[in-house]
Amino acid sequence: MKNIKSKRNSYKLFFNFFFLIFIYCNPIFALENESQSIENNIKINDNWKIILNKASGKTIFFHAWGGGKNINSYIKWASKEVMQRYNIKVNHVKISDTSNVVARILSEKTAGKHKNGAVDLIWINGENFSFMQKHKLLFKDNWIMNLPETNNMDFISNPSLLNDFGIPTNGMEMPWGVSQLNFYYDSKYLKYPPKSAIELKKYIINNKGRFTFPQPPDFVGTSFLKQVLIELIEDKSVLKSTYVKDRHEDLLTPLWTWLNDVTPFLWRKGINYPTNYMSLTQLVADREIDIGMAFNIAHASNAISEGRLPKTIRGYIHKKGTLANVHFLSIPYNSSKKAASQVFINFLISPEAQIKKQNKDIWGDPSVLSMNKMLPEWKNKFKNLSKGIATLSNEELQLKLEEPHPSWVKVIESKWIEKFGSSK
Amino acid sequence: MKTKYYNRLLKFILFLFTLIILSPTFIGFLGVLFPAFGYFPALGGNYFSLNFFNDLFLIPGIKKSLLLSLFIGFFSTLLALFFSQLILLYIFNTKIFYYLKIIISPLVALPHITMAVGLLFLLSPSGFIVRALSPWLTGYDRPPDFYLIPDEFGLSLILGLVLKEIPFFLLTSIAALEQFPAKKLFNVGKSLQHSNFSTWCLIIFPNLYNKIRLVIFIVMAFTSSVIDMALVLSPSTPSTLSIRILQFYQSTETNSIFIASNLALVQVIIIIILMLTWKLIEMIIKHNYFFLFSIKFLPRKKYFLEKYFFSLGLFLIFLSILGIINSFFWGIGNNWYFPNVYPETYTLDHIISFFNENKVIILNSLSIALIVSILSIFIIIIWIESCDYLSINKPYLEFLIFIPLFIPQISLLIGLQTFLIKVGFQNYFFSLIFIEILYVIPYCLILLGPALRGINKDFLSIGASLGKTRIQRLFLIKIPLIVSTLLTSFAIGIIISLSLYTPVYFIGAGRITTLTVETLNLATSGLRQDLGVATIFQIIIPIFILLIVAYLNKKFTKWVF
Repeated sequence: MKNIKSKRNSYKLFFNFFFLIFIYCNPIFALENESQSIENNIKINDNWKIILNKASGKTIFFHAWGGGKNINSYIKWASKEVMQRYNIKVNHVKISDTSNVVARILSEKTAGKHKNGAVDLIWINGENFSFMQKHKLLFKDNWIMNLPETNNMDFISNPSLLNDFGIPTNGMEMPWGVSQLNFYYDSKYLKYPPKSAIELKKYIINNKGRFTFPQPPDFVGTSFLKQVLIELIEDKSVLKSTYVKDRHEDLLTPLWTWLNDVTPFLWRKGINYPTNYMSLTQLVADREIDIGMAFNIAHASNAISEGRLPKTIRGYIHKKGTLANVHFLSIPYNSSKKAASQVFINFLISPEAQIKKQNKDIWGDPSVLSMNKMLPEWKNKFKNLSKGIATLSNEELQLKLEEPHPSWVKVIESKWIEKFGSSK
Repeated sequence: MKTKYYNRLLKFILFLFTLIILSPTFIGFLGVLFPAFGYFPALGGNYFSLNFFNDLFLIPGIKKSLLLSLFIGFFSTLLALFFSQLILLYIFNTKIFYYLKIIISPLVALPHITMAVGLLFLLSPSGFIVRALSPWLTGYDRPPDFYLIPDEFGLSLILGLVLKEIPFFLLTSIAALEQFPAKKLFNVGKSLQHSNFSTWCLIIFPNLYNKIRLVIFIVMAFTSSVIDMALVLSPSTPSTLSIRILQFYQSTETNSIFIASNLALVQVIIIIILMLTWKLIEMIIKHNYFFLFSIKFLPRKKYFLEKYFFSLGLFLIFLSILGIINSFFWGIGNNWYFPNVYPETYTLDHIISFFNENKVIILNSLSIALIVSILSIFIIIIWIESCDYLSINKPYLEFLIFIPLFIPQISLLIGLQTFLIKVGFQNYFFSLIFIEILYVIPYCLILLGPALRGINKDFLSIGASLGKTRIQRLFLIKIPLIVSTLLTSFAIGIIISLSLYTPVYFIGAGRITTLTVETLNLATSGLRQDLGVATIFQIIIPIFILLIVAYLNKKFTKWVF
């Protein structure tokens, strides 16, 4: 009898133990504590104080591309910091394509869900932004100017911070980082990488199966097509206007002939493409292909330090320059935690967070802050940052090409899918 | 009089209960049916039309996608069935047969995505096999420019599916073999001077087939609409129908949800076509002339090609194990460049950092799986008990439970997702558990149903004569008797829940992620080290669960009859 009782007790203990573990560890049951911590070392205006008050204790869902390990751990670090400082819980929803999220917000709007939207914060730029702006899916104009840390940005000498693919942002999205299309190759095997669309074409045809790009509509894949188009088109200024089918269809012909000539000589004869720029890294490491590309200028260096690319990898860009753009953070109109999102954004653009982001060992994404506007101590810290072995210097990256108007993107994508992505 | 009312009430509750359990199926189906015909007022589709059916073939490359899905669904099922039977007939009479269940259980427990990743590591131009042969044999100092995987015709996807379904067919066949005197029949065939092969074809298989027919159809529905494996192994220009549906579903175009729903309905039609084709072939084979023909011409004594096929079957299983071992190496290796067969350096960093970053996800996967499995078993026991009490004995009721497995996951879930957004239901956790139960119950029922019903009635009548109530009999007699099956189906429930991809992708909507979804994200982003680690976790967790269950089984089994 005694024996049975003790057995029963041990079962009870066992189950209680697991139940407690389950409750404490499970994020679904996470208890939000009420403590409020307000940072006092900077002067906070009343408005901001109200926002801080509102933000405390909230949980936000940050929808951001989740394919980069270093980026994910950076976001994790930032989430931890705002949890400690402002009592805001950030859940990083790792997505593979931002347009899915945009589609979701639109379907919420059409279904009449104007409050408590699923998305509180979104990492965005280009055609996704213009789509959201067109369908009025974004938080009000110029909200970015209300955040204290915006003071460190210089909008006058750097107008690209307020223009996304040539479209004025109206202050509806906060600049987060700067990126530029860049290529990398293994200097051990390749002495002179091809530095223009025409040279690249020759290279591809001479080296069968050793070049590819991520399959459009992947962001980098589409950007590569845009890069080729800009290099081949005679009058670049046309690309700044909205695409009109009757007037502009012929202008795309050079791109399609270039691709027609090149596609049979691509990796796997252009029958399969890698999913995104991360898979290119693996292919370069395996030497299945010779040239990789990325938008993050520190990508190759990061991969080297993580042991995923050999140390002989070097970076380059095309002679005429490459596509450059700014990536942004924005808040959907139907988020019910706009205050918390703003506090998190404010943290992400603070010198502290930006310097960590620019650090080559962490992410390597250049900061959006202006050296002249920062406090001297931060200025020095930024100056002392070293860059990775395969990362190009600011001088080498000087030639930047402007993004075409977003309307061109959809056309290029769908035409490519029609011509190269679904036949064979 | 009182009991009559009571019975009626119970019947009504049972009916309601079944309705609630099955409601997602109906809602999902309607949610895909209406938009498929252009009706979805929230997105501006106010009337029914056939426009989307008419425009179906205008979608670039859709014909190939349709053909791929048909081709893959049919041949992967056929080949997996063929090889599973071949392996069985060869070892049926040997001692290995008794260990077979133990050998294949871990393989059944692996998620599909793990198998796909293993193949990828093995067969790609920079994969293990080319590395092992380079440069000493092939002369390659860099990966060759050819491709085996993924290929243009979906053959590698078929290979992956066959590898994954062989163990599943083996397991179900072993269970079916126990239900009729297979051994006796086999010996009869052998004594009539038939070879193993012809004995199996003529005597055992026809008996076996009737019992695993349901499973075959489930596998066929699954393989022709698989998503997770297809994302890794199918060609990308264009891909299979299921992937195309996913792409349309993800697109920002306003009418793409109509196209996606329409294609989802086409996917259902494809599965119906496949089943009809299968049925047709079945009818031909069942025909007398065919039977006589095969008796006359099937070489009785000769071993036919069976030896070759058998070695091929074993080679396939060997291949899947090799792929899994290779994933282990990726998980612990660093600086592993072509053509090195082994990594230059080894490290546990990847495993530790992956674990630290994904603790929440692993815990989520486990807790969801636990809840789902426990609930499913509760529901099944209550359901069977009350059916027994009310003496309802209608097989079609049970068939209702299997419906979710016959409808392609993607079709059902697109409809459900549309419905959930429309209603504005926010509790992702609750919805996900509800939907997962739908997919877990059938598998648990396959195991638990026959066991619970097959209990010797004498024990129960003795119990009743000793004055034990129904509930006492359930807990004191029935459950102790079937505790081993109960635990096994509990484990199966957890494993199925862990391996589900599509429901988590659609219903979890990124808010709730599980290990399988995370593995797929990694698989498409090509980070082999992380992918290797994720695979390690996906192998270890199910095996760990199987071990726990085996231990509990030993501990709790009191009586064996």
